[in-house]
Amino acid sequence: MNHFLIGFAISSLFRRGAKSFFTIFIFTSLIFLLSSILFISNSIKEELFITLKSLPQITVQKLQAGRHTNIEISKIDKLLKLNGVQSAIPRIWGYYYFEKAGVNFSIVGIDSFDKQYKKSFEAIVKDVDFDELYKNNSMIVGEGVDKVLRENYYQGVFNFIKPDGELKKIKIASTFKSATALESNDIILMPKDLVLEIFGMNKNEVTDIVLEIANPEEIPTIAKKIKNLFPDSKVITNSDLRVSYQNIFDYKSGMFLALFIISAFTFFMIVYDKASGLSSEEKREIGILKALGWKIDDVLKAKFYEAFVVSFISFLVGVMLALFFVYTLQAPLLKDIFIGYSRLKPVFDLPFAFDFQTLFLLFFLTIPIYIAAIIIPSWRVASMNADEVMR
Amino acid sequence: MIECKNITKVFNQNKRNEQTALKNINLEIKSGELVVLKGASGSGKSTLLSLIAALSKPTIGEMVVDDKRVSKMPDNFTAMFRRQNIGFIFQKYNLISTLSSYENIILPTIPSNPDEIELDKRVDELLKMFDITSKKESHIKNLSGGEQQRVAIARALINNPKIIIADEPTANLDEKLSLEFIDIIKELKQQKRTIIIATHDPLFFNLDFVDRVIEMKDGQILCS
Amino acid sequence: MFLTPEIIAIYILDIIFLVFASFAFIISIMIVKKWDINSTSELQYSLEKRAILVATIIKYIFILKLPLFIFFVFTADKISGVITGAMCAAGVVNSISFGLWLFVFKILNLFIFGFWIALHVKDMQDEKLSFTKLKFSIFIVAFVLLVVEIFYEISFFSSLDVDKIVSCCGTLFSVASSSSFSLIFNIPNNVIITTFYLIFALLVFFSFLKKELPFLVINVIFFIVSLLSLILFFGTYIYELPTHHCPYCFLQREYYYVGYLLYITLFIGTFSGISGSILRMLRADYKKIFYKTSLIFNSLYVAIVTAYPIIFYIKNGVWL
Repeated sequence: MNHFLIGFAISSLFRRGAKSFFTIFIFTSLIFLLSSILFISNSIKEELFITLKSLPQITVQKLQAGRHTNIEISKIDKLLKLNGVQSAIPRIWGYYYFEKAGVNFSIVGIDSFDKQYKKSFEAIVKDVDFDELYKNNSMIVGEGVDKVLRENYYQGVFNFIKPDGELKKIKIASTFKSATALESNDIILMPKDLVLEIFGMNKNEVTDIVLEIANPEEIPTIAKKIKNLFPDSKVITNSDLRVSYQNIFDYKSGMFLALFIISAFTFFMIVYDKASGLSSEEKREIGILKALGWKIDDVLKAKFYEAFVVSFISFLVGVMLALFFVYTLQAPLLKDIFIGYSRLKPVFDLPFAFDFQTLFLLFFLTIPIYIAAIIIPSWRVASMNADEVMR
Repeated sequence: MIECKNITKVFNQNKRNEQTALKNINLEIKSGELVVLKGASGSGKSTLLSLIAALSKPTIGEMVVDDKRVSKMPDNFTAMFRRQNIGFIFQKYNLISTLSSYENIILPTIPSNPDEIELDKRVDELLKMFDITSKKESHIKNLSGGEQQRVAIARALINNPKIIIADEPTANLDEKLSLEFIDIIKELKQQKRTIIIATHDPLFFNLDFVDRVIEMKDGQILCS
Repeated sequence: MFLTPEIIAIYILDIIFLVFASFAFIISIMIVKKWDINSTSELQYSLEKRAILVATIIKYIFILKLPLFIFFVFTADKISGVITGAMCAAGVVNSISFGLWLFVFKILNLFIFGFWIALHVKDMQDEKLSFTKLKFSIFIVAFVLLVVEIFYEISFFSSLDVDKIVSCCGTLFSVASSSSFSLIFNIPNNVIITTFYLIFALLVFFSFLKKELPFLVINVIFFIVSLLSLILFFGTYIYELPTHHCPYCFLQREYYYVGYLLYITLFIGTFSGISGSILRMLRADYKKIFYKTSLIFNSLYVAIVTAYPIIFYIKNGVWL
């Protein structure tokens, strides 16, 4: 390492202050934008994966005319007879659109004697007296729901509108908070009979049936068997969900990256242009250096050191700003673009998800492009005929 | 020390603006000699200097300096050769005006990644020699013409070169400074350095310590 | 077709490499055809300058290719989460018929580009630039290999299929597998281990003897035998599972990313041995330091892989 050369490169940057500042500014903005996008998508993915881990291994739904419809409760017995199925739990759930706030609530039916299909729910309902809940017409709501209701002047009670137009008044017994905000912020838990009443559902039907499988290796086989047993069913395994979620998110960030490529290309052109357009002062300077015994390689090295300094500063500042923007400010504007359905869901916090792989990725998407843009202009400058200083 | 063998230099060869800068130059300069190249601008003096310093390469012919065929050396080696053997003093000094005196003086040493302590010692020596110690950290643009001239000479001497090449060194100086410069040249001559000065300043033509005055015209040597 | 941010990054870099390497390729052809160090024509002078551009481009590509190789494995590893059946990079790479070839080309190109730069450094120290023609002839070949690699890489990612169920490394690298690769599992453990340490002993011997040709050959053999013994024997101790033979899984976090350390030491060790020997055969004044570099890194590799079975034995009192 030749620290004189590095020093010279840095002082060159300072001497061309405006130009260097312009490049650093644009590069920083680009890195900031890109890292924000990646951080947000990482966060949402993280959030989803936590959610997915708690999802059932197999979900059986019924299809009618190609659409999801309620499934008969009687099918449970046949499912339980399949080898490897440990338990089958009927679920009653659905979405309730709260028009005034413009958000969707997820209503989930629970019962005291049922085994809960989700660990997180088990913890919540452990201390709850269901008979009391049913008798008093009350429910347990997620924090997000509680917040939305309060904002709309519902204190401790909410009026659901049933399909026949009648109002059903339900009290809030308590609120809960769970590990992932995305999953549970919009959830309302209440006794199954109440859910049936609010949704106007038939007593011998449920929304879907979830299965627990003793050996995870058998999941694909059992899924196939169910499909044969009930041809009108849709069988979803947890790995199906995981794959489709990852696909959606990779696809979404892929779209953003396609946009990014365009801006990166523009950036490339700007840098190329800036690096090629030398003032006569700079040309004279290179001529002097070469006359004083600098090799083409030395001039190139100085140019690359300059580029490294610019990249390093931009990278550091860009990533820091993005961290602040995404995790402290919760990425205003950008977050909404990313989670298209956010308008229909109560707000949630982006969990902190940060790994070296993302830094690696950020590095490869930015710095090599910048260096590539300066290779040819720098070489042109460095290999200029030096004898011009003599004329 | 310096041998020009049959040198021709053509610019923009085979193009419409082709121009022959030097024609069949044969010249030998001995070690420790002080040679003045005399001639109007455009006579080929500067081109000859840049060929000697291996800044450019002849179209025909061979340049041998210090037993090295510098006309056929790759860039790596010519640069090293310049760094070690040649001190340049340009017309208009060619200093980098936004750097300090110190930073300008060390420019020729940077590629060889010098030892900082030794370098500082050498720079201080030169600053003292030219009486500009107080200007070490001053930016070039804040220096007077004479001080700039001395910084430029200090830079030329930093690597202790055997050959000093000066191109129109007094073109921008008044008479007092020009005489001062001549004193410095005299001293360099006493140090047994080979010195080549391209100039059309008559001050140089009748100095007693000048070994030879070579007159050039239209790319050719008239008499020597 | 698959479009994760990682793959887009790899595509962008591939395109940059392709564009720059094509530039370098055209210049290389000109140099190979027209280079004449004794000429004083403007063409020769401009070729000398362009040669520096090509060298800069090749350095750029090589310097990026090193971390990019690790990044590629990272990416394949990540995709394994999406591809049904794949547990690590091995499954992903092998889900495409030419996946293994892509890997072979990647390693080969790293060796060639690295060697090119070593040759270039040597060439620049020579006043006659006597390796220039050789150097650029080599690049013409390297360019073709690079294009093949990039072509493979792009078609590799675009033909990855989420719906296809692939075999995981457990079946790919097992005795039961019917692939031609599984033939190597017929080699008994004691044979491969003996060969491995024997070759290493020879390597140490020749590095003290300082004879180029045998050192070159022994390094090539050592590289191959190391990989085989890693898959057949040492890997099982890293996993502490006698049936797990995958050469990729230990790149994952569960094994403290030890795979990167292993591959990097092995690469530096054998690369410096191979390229150093070739350069010294070309020019006798090439410094002998490469014997030491090669020996140190190869020994480091041997020390690490040897530590695994020994620690296992100390802990459990039995061999796997």
